[in-house]
Amino acid sequence: MSQTTMQGPTRRHLSDRRVIQLFIVPTMLLLILMNIFPLIYSLYLSFTEYSIISTTAPEWVGLQNYRDILSDERFWENFAITGRYALYSVSLQMIVGFGMAMLLKEKFRGSGLLTTLILVPMMVSPVVVGVFWRNIFNPSIGILNPLLGYQNLETSPEWLVEYPLYSIVIVDVWMWSPFVMLLALAGLSAIPDYLYEAAAIDRASSWFQFWRITLPQVMPLLIIAVLFRTIEAFKQFDLVMGLTGGRPGTETVSVRLYREALQGQFETGSSSALAYIVLVIIIAISNLYIRALNRVREA
Amino acid sequence: MATIELLEVEKRFGDFQAVKPLNLTINDGEFVVLLGPSGCGKTTTLRMISGLEAVSGGTILFDGRDVTWLNPSERNIAFVFQFFALYSHMTARQNISFPLEAELGADIDNDLGLGEVGRFLSQRVFQVFMVQWLRRRHRAVINQRVEEVAQLLRIQRLLDRRPGVLSGGDQQRVALARALVREPAAFLMDEPLGALDAEFRETMRAEIKRLHIDQHATTVYVTHDQIEAMAMGDRIVVMSDAEIQQVGTPAEVYHDPANLFVARFIGSPGMSLINGQYNGQGMIRINEGNTYRIPDDWKASIERGLTGDDGEIIIGFRPEAAHVNGDGDLSARVYADDLHGGYSMLHLDLGEDTIVHARAGREMQHEIDEALRFTIDPASVRFFDPRTEAAIRKAT
Repeated sequence: MSQTTMQGPTRRHLSDRRVIQLFIVPTMLLLILMNIFPLIYSLYLSFTEYSIISTTAPEWVGLQNYRDILSDERFWENFAITGRYALYSVSLQMIVGFGMAMLLKEKFRGSGLLTTLILVPMMVSPVVVGVFWRNIFNPSIGILNPLLGYQNLETSPEWLVEYPLYSIVIVDVWMWSPFVMLLALAGLSAIPDYLYEAAAIDRASSWFQFWRITLPQVMPLLIIAVLFRTIEAFKQFDLVMGLTGGRPGTETVSVRLYREALQGQFETGSSSALAYIVLVIIIAISNLYIRALNRVREA
Repeated sequence: MATIELLEVEKRFGDFQAVKPLNLTINDGEFVVLLGPSGCGKTTTLRMISGLEAVSGGTILFDGRDVTWLNPSERNIAFVFQFFALYSHMTARQNISFPLEAELGADIDNDLGLGEVGRFLSQRVFQVFMVQWLRRRHRAVINQRVEEVAQLLRIQRLLDRRPGVLSGGDQQRVALARALVREPAAFLMDEPLGALDAEFRETMRAEIKRLHIDQHATTVYVTHDQIEAMAMGDRIVVMSDAEIQQVGTPAEVYHDPANLFVARFIGSPGMSLINGQYNGQGMIRINEGNTYRIPDDWKASIERGLTGDDGEIIIGFRPEAAHVNGDGDLSARVYADDLHGGYSMLHLDLGEDTIVHARAGREMQHEIDEALRFTIDPASVRFFDPRTEAAIRKAT
């Protein structure tokens, strides 16, 4: 700060602490305004009867919203659909992604290019993916049915109508298996070669090596992949809207939430309650995974 | 236990010759050290014996059986790696029992008498469960064996820890236990002490030597540390430039190096070497004022052994063979005088950049640049031909 005196007395003297505060305060304000206030306000709203399009003030109803949601069969169905969807798509992604990673583990000519190409679906916007696949699934113009060998329009399945949830699962697996592959590949390439050399000396067969070395060694990364994909699956909204528009049988919790909050009656109060229920579920599942992760990692 | 024979074994990486064709027989129960500077091909040789590296040519025999193209797992050997190569996700106990359980996995079909389909499923998909089941059946035997080995290496109290929390020495003990547990035909060790602190290294050196004496297992041990090699080996194989320079007992490679490389490499400091010219009459002229008289019993050998006709010759001797005394036949100046505890090492300058080493009692003080005279013990002096770099052998 000796320079300030040299440059003249008009320059204001700022301490380091003051500079730090000046930089941080705008960010903090923005964060409070955009994140923390809505979080707390929506928690308050979840205990009220309120709609943002009505002129009446929020009316405190206590746990009534939660009671209504948890006793409504349609909500339970939404949760069941979301749960099934998460189970199918996450487990398929793990198998496909890990399988691809095992295949790409050994370097060969063009393996780098292939890896990059496999990652492409992940980089496309989900809305675009939804539109693409709606065309692919389309029984009259889509390419999927002819590829599967269906010649006759009469007998060929209409995927998005007959198997709407599985269709979304297929698209999600197509889109996000590369992500699992990427994580698994990172884990696989971090396993030192000498472990396999030691195992070969110890007379372990290649399957024994897989079960006892490869799998345990990549397990932490696989658990992280499962964690990410499960959270994403519980939030699934864009692919559903793009593919089926949330037709019955595919109405996930997020779609229902959107409809409650921003369509029809604009039930702000009860949709806030629903959002908090989803939040609690996701935090609970994440905790289970993180506990599993720590158990695998403890050393 | 096994006898290991290497016949014209070589390794090429593209155009690079990592190991030139070499022949070596390692006898049953012998402790053989492959010694050489880094990049000399000693580790590659060891890895070829283990089967981790394929040979480019030649034959490897274990007890007369050709194992050249067998997998490491089919050679019944144990390998101790420089960086331990412990399975980091397993406890010490699981690491040690791994070879025994892997063997169970391989024996599943024999054990259960399954059909083709059953064998396929058991070896692949269900292997992990089958091994679990078999392990339960054989738990008592496996546990007992693990305990035995742990006791041998004094690591019982560490058995339930993971490698990550163990010291380097303890990790290597676990790795040794894993190697010992299966009672293999041969132990191959690739610089097992290289990653350890100096203090552990001394202890582990003694432990490995002790283990070898107890187990009497054929052991091939790779190191670049000549002190380690001298201390542990029954025989030392000195390697350099992808080939064997000399095979011999520690005493042989120390006292009778086959060539200049071995003379310089073995010992710390290495052999002192002095260039000179043989005059044909039993004298070697070193430089102005220094002439060395050849011991009588060497004369004939040298005259027969020298290949050049200009008489160029190199005199070699170990520090303990040089004795400082007033009427010695060689004169030199003191270049440096290091005290090594029990003795001091004199660095003597003979001029023309020739520094030789002499071991002296620590009670003798020598000033820097002091002129003195010394003699070379005639029983310990050696001669080399500078043209071939080979030692001149003494006729007997």
